[in-house]
Amino acid sequence: MSGEHYLIIGNGPAGREAAITLREKAPQSRVTVISKENVRCYQPHLLPQFIAGQVSEEELFTLPFSFFKERDIKLRLGQCVVDVDFHKSQVTMAHKEIIPYTGLIIAVGGTPRIPERCHRYRDRMLTLKTLTDARMWAEKLQKVSSALIVGGDLTSFALTRTLLAMGKRVSFLLNEESLWPVRCDDQVFREARVKLEQGGVEALRGTIQDIVRRSETSLEVTVDNKTFETGIVGAFYGLRPDVGFLAGSGLTIERGILVDEYLKTEVDNVYAAGDCAQVYHPGLKDYWVSIGYGNAENLGRIAASNLMGEKTPVETPQESILCAEGVRVNTSWWLEF
Amino acid sequence: MAGIDLTVEVCGMSGDGTIAAGGILNEAMSRQGYSALAFDSYPAEIRGFGRCVTRSRFGDRPKLALTDRTNALISLDDEQSRSRIPFLAEDAVVLFDDKPPSYVEENKSIAAHVEPTMTLYGAPFADLAAKAAGSARGRNLTALGVFAAVFGASPDVFREVITGKFAPKGEKVLRANLKSFDAGYEYALETFSKRLLNTAPPLRRTDGSRKVLTSGNTAIAEGALAAGVKLYFGYPITPATPIMEYLAKKLPERGGRVTQMEDEISSIGAVLGAFFAGTRAMTATSGPGFALMTELITHGVMSETPAVIIDAQRAGPSTGLPTKTEQSDLQAAVFGGPGDSPRIVIAPTDVAECFHYTAKAFQLAEKYQTPVIVLTDFFLDNRVENIEPPALEPEDARDGNIYPDASAKGAYRRYELTDSGISPRAVPGMEGFMFAATGLEHVERGTPDYTPANHMAMSQKRYRKIRSALADLPAPEEYAETGPLDVGVISWGSTFGAALEAVQDAQARGIRVGALKITSIYPYHEDVIRTFMRRCRKILIPELNFEGQLSGLIGHLDGTEIVRLTMATGVPMAPSVILKKIFEIVGEKAA
Amino acid sequence: MKTPARELAAKVKSIHDSHIFSVRSDELPTWCPGCGYFGIHFGINNAIQRLELPHHEVMIVSGIGCAGRYPFFSGTYGLHTVHGRSLPVATGVKLANPGLTVLAVGGDGDGLGIGGGHLPHAARRDININYILFDNSIYGLTKGQPSPSSPIGMKTKASPLGTIDKPLNGSLMALSYGATFVARLFAGDPESIADALMEGINHPGFAFFHIYSTCVTFDKQFKTWDNLKSRTHPLPESHDPQDYKQAINEVLADDYSMGVLYHAKPVAQ
Repeated sequence: MSGEHYLIIGNGPAGREAAITLREKAPQSRVTVISKENVRCYQPHLLPQFIAGQVSEEELFTLPFSFFKERDIKLRLGQCVVDVDFHKSQVTMAHKEIIPYTGLIIAVGGTPRIPERCHRYRDRMLTLKTLTDARMWAEKLQKVSSALIVGGDLTSFALTRTLLAMGKRVSFLLNEESLWPVRCDDQVFREARVKLEQGGVEALRGTIQDIVRRSETSLEVTVDNKTFETGIVGAFYGLRPDVGFLAGSGLTIERGILVDEYLKTEVDNVYAAGDCAQVYHPGLKDYWVSIGYGNAENLGRIAASNLMGEKTPVETPQESILCAEGVRVNTSWWLEF
Repeated sequence: MAGIDLTVEVCGMSGDGTIAAGGILNEAMSRQGYSALAFDSYPAEIRGFGRCVTRSRFGDRPKLALTDRTNALISLDDEQSRSRIPFLAEDAVVLFDDKPPSYVEENKSIAAHVEPTMTLYGAPFADLAAKAAGSARGRNLTALGVFAAVFGASPDVFREVITGKFAPKGEKVLRANLKSFDAGYEYALETFSKRLLNTAPPLRRTDGSRKVLTSGNTAIAEGALAAGVKLYFGYPITPATPIMEYLAKKLPERGGRVTQMEDEISSIGAVLGAFFAGTRAMTATSGPGFALMTELITHGVMSETPAVIIDAQRAGPSTGLPTKTEQSDLQAAVFGGPGDSPRIVIAPTDVAECFHYTAKAFQLAEKYQTPVIVLTDFFLDNRVENIEPPALEPEDARDGNIYPDASAKGAYRRYELTDSGISPRAVPGMEGFMFAATGLEHVERGTPDYTPANHMAMSQKRYRKIRSALADLPAPEEYAETGPLDVGVISWGSTFGAALEAVQDAQARGIRVGALKITSIYPYHEDVIRTFMRRCRKILIPELNFEGQLSGLIGHLDGTEIVRLTMATGVPMAPSVILKKIFEIVGEKAA
Repeated sequence: MKTPARELAAKVKSIHDSHIFSVRSDELPTWCPGCGYFGIHFGINNAIQRLELPHHEVMIVSGIGCAGRYPFFSGTYGLHTVHGRSLPVATGVKLANPGLTVLAVGGDGDGLGIGGGHLPHAARRDININYILFDNSIYGLTKGQPSPSSPIGMKTKASPLGTIDKPLNGSLMALSYGATFVARLFAGDPESIADALMEGINHPGFAFFHIYSTCVTFDKQFKTWDNLKSRTHPLPESHDPQDYKQAINEVLADDYSMGVLYHAKPVAQ
């Protein structure tokens, strides 16, 4: 075993693929994956199907722990990084353990974003990002028959499909804030509305003013002064990269961590991949965000390869750029629904 | 859901209050109505530093073995606890202090060593204790508070136990300790309530009971007291010393006395002298001390003098591993010493039997005029089980001596050849029955004799006498359905508990397997054992010694193939090891 | 017709009928004619008779050796144990039934060799047992090897060139172990043995009797009747048995002064 230690923060698709790649390219080094979620690798894009009961919990999981043990990839689950010191090349854990690294890949993904003005009623809204969230959805959906999805991101559309399949009555509220990073204008909205209503979903537009819990199975929602009843409210305002722990670390962070087309941050031995990264697009001369399971996996592999000295730029799919009225959409999810 | 079966360890450095925490945990869980079996490890040296580990198994049904997989580890010192990780179940839960006073290097935290399948519950034990009670000393209780919250155990019962333990130390100490416990409990309730505690099985308060946590050693001492022992002669040796120390406090209250002798030889000498003079006496030792006693034990056989000897086996040979368990004195107990010297050897399998068999030993010794050796082992002596306080069986309380009839006065023959082999025994102080007992072969009157026919007749007498004890000795107990069996598991001592658990597990999976408990090691019930063996396709004898000493003793009884499952590791055999062997024998893949 | 055998038998019978030796058993001692142990036997019997101790309340515990055979020759309760262990067994007997008078007997090999580790503890425990050491400075039963109290230069089959180890002094050992009653006696003076035994048996603590004896079969050089008779003499009149230091000095200075060397003042309870 050589002295090198490669650390990956995050056990999602990006982190997982980064770990596997690192192990392949640096067989003598130590590879450790740290994740604050205490669960083995699962496929988050299947969560909606899990909620619907189409996929069992067991089927959600991808690789067994033995996979990592065989490859000598250390998994530290349920443990939290609270600080990174880029000068000393070490991370500090919540339980005050200091772990030095030779190279670092940040793949923390994002947490569901709740806009500031929604914080008042945030505890009456459910998000869907983790397995824990999914279990809660599954439990609640046994008792309710209707749902309001405040949405616009990939997951919200997948979930909507799922709820329809479960026979639930679904309302979908599109508004400006929901479709980040897409700015929702009338045309976008019209197109989206058409698609939704084709699917049997009631499409709404407006701003939520309040959500009041009437009972365990009933919520009263007020949108643009109109009140209606629903069983469950799902909030899908997109993901906010989970990089709070990097505040004050010196890394440049906008919504996410800014990296070049090789996924490298401004620190030479630190890379970022997946939902938490904003990747520089030389063509656009701007940063774009990758969303989606497959993309995350891909970015994880690339970040790891480049950390090992390769120079593989991220493929920027031209066709994912949507120009609408001069507005550039820096994302690649749009065509998935 | 399967019944509650939770193995919990507390691990720390000496000075962390590990053993105290384990004791409180055992008591609290016992009062909640769970069965409890606990076995602690201490540092081997007296110096006062080293790893302390308490290991406790709680369940809704009594358990007589320790598993080899721990479900919950409470770490009071991460460096020490690290060594326990290989013994944790895959889905174990680890409670640790996640706010050490200063930053620690990589790998110094237990978080660095847990498997990804395990769940970590971190809480700032020391910090919470310091804030609540003014010092971090009570952090072991804070950790227990966290445990209680995470596992849903009753905090009130814990508080009750803590009060009972610390009230004698004063109001201030008690309050500090209760606050330390509460701080951990409340923190955990708040912090972890948001998590789904599906990694920990929920515990509920079951019926309270009269059960008392008792160690094997205490049970042995209590059994002796119940039988009316008056004199104890002994020499300190691990693990038998606590018996002497317990009796040193209790015997004077009953007009008796503990005399610490200069060695084991004088100890057994004094026991024989006391019994010869008609008073119940006892000694307890371990392998090396037992070796020293064998000469006088055979004297007891030849002179037909009663004695009660506890051999608390430990790992050998010679000085061996003084703080590790083993079952390797069977051969020494049965055969040790010169010549053909049959004596009674019995072996309890759990704490309650430690009481009953020790009590029984006195009567057996008197009736059969022989040394009686009670074989226990380190695991049995030092573990605690919560049991109903045992009471003496009426038949064990009686004086076992058979005294000569008045008509024999003046013409008394101490070693009269009888059908049973038992000759009425006069005791000094009885007028008209004077005789001298000896270790030389002797005629009926007791005087030395070397003639061939006499030696044969006396040897026969002594063997006949010991064989007749079978009538009073506990017969082997069977745990099996009727009819032929694929595997018969025969075991003894503390290993029997593990064997029975494995057998019950296998039975639940449809395997035709049965268990036979042997507690009379010598003489043994040949016919019963043979009959059992004949029903089985194969016999499995698990025991904690290298060669298979019980196998060597009874293996010849039948032609059934014997599989010896022997271990000389110094640690109790886990049920899973025996179960695996059963599967192997039956040809099934271990589940 | 009177034959020598019949005459002897008649003599024995008359002695028997006189009850002088009624404390003896019917077993004839196995010792060699001329053995000093007969004298000790006489002393013990007399002491028991004169103290009027019921025979069933006397217990004699012995080790291995010629002296070890003693219990068979006594009409009391007896226990012939293994080599060197008479003291601990006697301890057990006495604690079990304090009403018994307990005598522990054994030779010098039994008591000072293999059993040597028990003497200090019997002395310090000060339990009321009476230990009679039959010291003939040889291992007689195994046919003549040197013992812990054999003098330097003793030639035996096991020491053909003569012994080279210093002999142990039983009286000195007993005194230094803190025995509260120590008497040194000679098997050729059974009356003194009886007197000392009576005093020692009545002493409520550990009593040690160091009795010099001959071994006529195997020691023709050192502990012969002539040597012992000529050398032994009573303790001086001025000897104060309650003076511990004087007792120690006495045994250091003189190996042959006989009598009660030390009899501790009873300690106020």
